[in-house]
Amino acid sequence: MNALGVVIAVVSVAFVAAAGVYVTAWIDLVLAQAVAGLEVRPLDALIAPLRWAAATALKARTTTERPDAEAWALAPALLAALAAVGLAAVPLAPGLLAADVANGIVLFGAAMALVVVAVFLQGWSPNSPLPMIGGYRFIAQGLSYEIPLAVVLIAAALPARSLAIAPIVTSQEHLWNVVRQPLGLPLYLMAGLGLAFWGPLALPEGQDLAGGSSLETSGASLLLWRAAQLLVLVAVAAMGTAVFLGGWLGPLLPGAAWMILKTLFLLIPLIATRHFVARVPTERYVVVSWAILIPLSLLDVFAAGIQALMAAR
Amino acid sequence: MILNVTFWAFSALAVFSGWRVFRADSMVRAAYWLLVSFAAVGVILVLLKAEFLGLILILMMGGEMTIMAVFMVAFMMNPAGLNPMTMVHRNSVAIVAGVVSFLAIAALGVFARFPVARAPVGIDPTRRLGVELLGDSMLVFQTAGVTLLAAMIAAVAISSARGRFGAGDEGSVEPDQLVPDTGAAPERVAGMQPGGPDGPRDPSPMAAGGHT
Repeated sequence: MNALGVVIAVVSVAFVAAAGVYVTAWIDLVLAQAVAGLEVRPLDALIAPLRWAAATALKARTTTERPDAEAWALAPALLAALAAVGLAAVPLAPGLLAADVANGIVLFGAAMALVVVAVFLQGWSPNSPLPMIGGYRFIAQGLSYEIPLAVVLIAAALPARSLAIAPIVTSQEHLWNVVRQPLGLPLYLMAGLGLAFWGPLALPEGQDLAGGSSLETSGASLLLWRAAQLLVLVAVAAMGTAVFLGGWLGPLLPGAAWMILKTLFLLIPLIATRHFVARVPTERYVVVSWAILIPLSLLDVFAAGIQALMAAR
Repeated sequence: MILNVTFWAFSALAVFSGWRVFRADSMVRAAYWLLVSFAAVGVILVLLKAEFLGLILILMMGGEMTIMAVFMVAFMMNPAGLNPMTMVHRNSVAIVAGVVSFLAIAALGVFARFPVARAPVGIDPTRRLGVELLGDSMLVFQTAGVTLLAAMIAAVAISSARGRFGAGDEGSVEPDQLVPDTGAAPERVAGMQPGGPDGPRDPSPMAAGGHT
């Protein structure tokens, strides 16, 4: 561990994260224009997120009666940091990753498991009813998506016989995991939507709660919170690419280009759910998750285990 | 150098946040200070080359501390965990127990003779751990695992608002125990009998809905 390496890794993750958030906000705006039947103006959509960010950052931060000020200030920073750690675990090309650990998939899982803490604190600490309901909702949601998420990731690591991401990518040289484990990617993306509380699973921040867990948040905190949420989406798409779509593998183009293209291929449908799929009631989501998604994810990991045993024979 | 600074910083954080657990005035804050303490220990485990154990500790504790906070809030009369409350009780007993256990652990640290054998180079700790968990120690871990799972299911069943006969806020009464509504008193008394649906029924007029 040398200091220069740490600095380079942190700066490059921050750069990739900022680019990812910006592109995600742009795609979201273009989709919103298209869905609303407006004239699609991609160039205007390039400026609009920056304008929103500047206006939000310049607004004063409002407060509530007796909030938990420290936890409230911490929540957006924690969410951003966790998403950045998740992103840092994903290799952009062979040997090109910030967090080169032997248990990359566990690192990603650990960062994503703590997202529940960030969203709950964001809702709980303002000492205000609607955000608090949003925070408690997200705990129910978190317990529902976390198990399928962890189980399909374990299943994807099985053929590689490794918990590091790079061997998982290279293990897909002949057959991508999306084909080898057909249940894996759909379950992963559904869990990822819950993780990013986005689109149909924006339950902690639903309009029925008038904005929910971030209702009382304003100013720079709100800007960081929105950016961190988009960054979670980016991290989910990037890890999904590495683990299910063969990461950097592909003909002609350099590995990093394939990685970015495939990440966009996953990111666009994820973003689009916000405009095409209605929000699901919390209870129905929890019941569907525990009664259907978790058993399906267990089926996925059993099938992957049997395949791995057959391959080892 | 960086390694040493990281180790001491996270050790100090672990001790500091462990102390804050008992100085916090809310169950939610106490639970998350405990999480900070565990996460700092997880980082120390990573520094000790037990990468998998350290990361899995953080992974498990993130959900676990949240669930602990929810259960504490659910079982205590403190709406949503928003009211301030003290985290320390029976101080004299606690002080004695704390001093005794600190001395015992400190004595262990000072007087115990720790093995000095260096681990062989190039072993894979994660693989070793897996072989241990599913090899010699499998019975112990599987027994503990199933016991914990049973306890978790029981805790969820107790705290669930949805019972066998419907949602708790709608009465959750067996269908054949519903007394026709006279608009006078709650008619869920019969459904609350011990012994379950096939158990003995209390024939007293109170239990049958004496208001008729």
